Amino acid sequence: MSAPPPNRHPLDAGHAAYLALNGALLFFLLAPIVVVVVFALNPTPYISFPPVGVTLRWFDKFFAGADFMKALWLSLWTASCVLVLSIAIGGGCALALARGNLPGRGWLTAFFMSPLMLPAILTGLALFQSYLLAGIGRPVWGLILAHTLIAVPYVLRTTLAVLYNFDRRIEEAAAVLGASPARVFFEVTLPLIRPGVFAGGVFAFIVSFDQFPVSLFLVVPNGETLPVVLFNYMKFDLDGAIAAASMISILLALSVVLVLEKLIGLKAYVKL
Amino acid sequence: MSLHSISRRNALRTAAGFAVASLVGAPAILHAQTRTLKITTWGGKWGDIMKTSVLPAFEKEFKCTVQADQAFPFVPKLQASPRNDPLYDVLHTNSNEQWNSLTEGLVMPKITAKEVPNIADVYSYAVSDKIVGVSIFTSAIGLGYRTDKGLAPPKSWKDLANSKLAGVRGGYVIPVNSLGQAHFMMLGMVYGKGLTDLDAAYKALEALKPIKLVDFTGQMEKMLLSGEVSMGVIHDSGIYRYDGQNQPVDFAIPSEGVLALEQVLNVTPGSKVKDLAFSYIDYMLRPDVQKLLAEGVWYSPSNKKVKLDTKYDAKLFTSEAKVAQLIQPDWKWYNARKDDIDARVTKILRG
Repeated sequence: MSAPPPNRHPLDAGHAAYLALNGALLFFLLAPIVVVVVFALNPTPYISFPPVGVTLRWFDKFFAGADFMKALWLSLWTASCVLVLSIAIGGGCALALARGNLPGRGWLTAFFMSPLMLPAILTGLALFQSYLLAGIGRPVWGLILAHTLIAVPYVLRTTLAVLYNFDRRIEEAAAVLGASPARVFFEVTLPLIRPGVFAGGVFAFIVSFDQFPVSLFLVVPNGETLPVVLFNYMKFDLDGAIAAASMISILLALSVVLVLEKLIGLKAYVKL
Repeated sequence: MSLHSISRRNALRTAAGFAVASLVGAPAILHAQTRTLKITTWGGKWGDIMKTSVLPAFEKEFKCTVQADQAFPFVPKLQASPRNDPLYDVLHTNSNEQWNSLTEGLVMPKITAKEVPNIADVYSYAVSDKIVGVSIFTSAIGLGYRTDKGLAPPKSWKDLANSKLAGVRGGYVIPVNSLGQAHFMMLGMVYGKGLTDLDAAYKALEALKPIKLVDFTGQMEKMLLSGEVSMGVIHDSGIYRYDGQNQPVDFAIPSEGVLALEQVLNVTPGSKVKDLAFSYIDYMLRPDVQKLLAEGVWYSPSNKKVKLDTKYDAKLFTSEAKVAQLIQPDWKWYNARKDDIDARVTKILRG
């Protein structure tokens, strides 16, 4: 009796096309990052290919720039606040929508998702006008609230996805065994929806950290976020410091994803 | 306890109370007296000089605080703020945006020597009928080129159309860049009847294809430095700022003249500190402040009394004869037609 054939896909035309498409997509997604890396490490103050050497001077310039550092910390602070707020608000809304038997649930979901449908630049402009008319100026908490408005739908959507795929019999079993509603929530519901909530939180953090159109109208002099500072810098000094800043942003976003993955295991959510 | 001792104690208490109150209240009173001037200003080297030297000295002299916004877009933010409590007291933009702002009633139509005494010393272009407010500096839009590509220094704007420059000439995305818009008008003048000859400009623009287009002047500088562009439309300071850095680039003044890229200051009608706003403009026109900024960023000062060091004086527009080469576009006319022009040039450059 001969051995069973190995479990391999024959390299037919369809499979080759599939691989080529995937390769092309990966290239499309990663090529800009490669350009950024080359620009950040190249000594010339402009994009040149092939690179003429390797330098860290643009990173030096970025970290030595008081404006860059102030903006970086403001962006990190804002994104961290947005992460917490959007998890609290988005997670709470998702629970209410999925479990609350609320009338007009579809409409409410659409309402909470609506900030994603409006062009962010208009959201920024509208909030800017509202803040000025209300006489509160442009405080940092106003910027954080604006970012939260944009970020909440991400948490809402990912948490709702988990809640709709949730086996409610587990909660019922806990209740039948005598657990109070609070205990059921904290010991059964929350651990199960956590990956969805935190996956949304990661999106919220990144959306806030990279937020440009909304911030454009809401930042104040000497209180600009990193994307706004980079945009203005680019108008006058287009050099490798921009690429260095972009690399730092990419690494920070990646770090947040990796830390959360380590802490709460986002893979679990991916499997859902 | 005697009446005398009580009264002395009371007196001491009262005195101590006043002392504490004055210590606690002093910063608040001082703060209340400190006025804030809200301005817009550029970033880059200009912004560095402003932040480190110019504004601190102004704040000290006028006992005020200056809030300088470097984050674009200035005019939309001003538009969206209440007219009676505008976001800015002084608006610093190029001339085209000042005209737009005037149409919206966001800035004052004219500033005179009565409000800003140093205006008496400026070149006439700085307060001409093509200017809303006052131009404190100008740079000259001409042609930047590589000196290592075997190109003869350009003598005319027509040299940009040289067939050898196909694909290595540089221009701007006209709808979003005022240098691009000014160059477009210049095409009308060079190839047609004048700056307002749109048909000639459209035709000449078509002939410049293939052309590399950028959004910002900073990008054009880098394209020239990298050699991606051999000749491009740029303002003189965008080239001169690399003076002494051994870069193979230079700036040429075409025989037809250069276009003025004015740095204009103006006051918002609703400003609550108008006197301070005028003082700031006057301060920016002082010869010492003008010299500091002119030599820092290679802008030509508007004040005739400014004496620049030789190397700057040789290149910048610092005499009546040199200033006569500046051509000021009619931005009011252009802005009124901007939408149509944008649509047409986009179609031309896309096709």
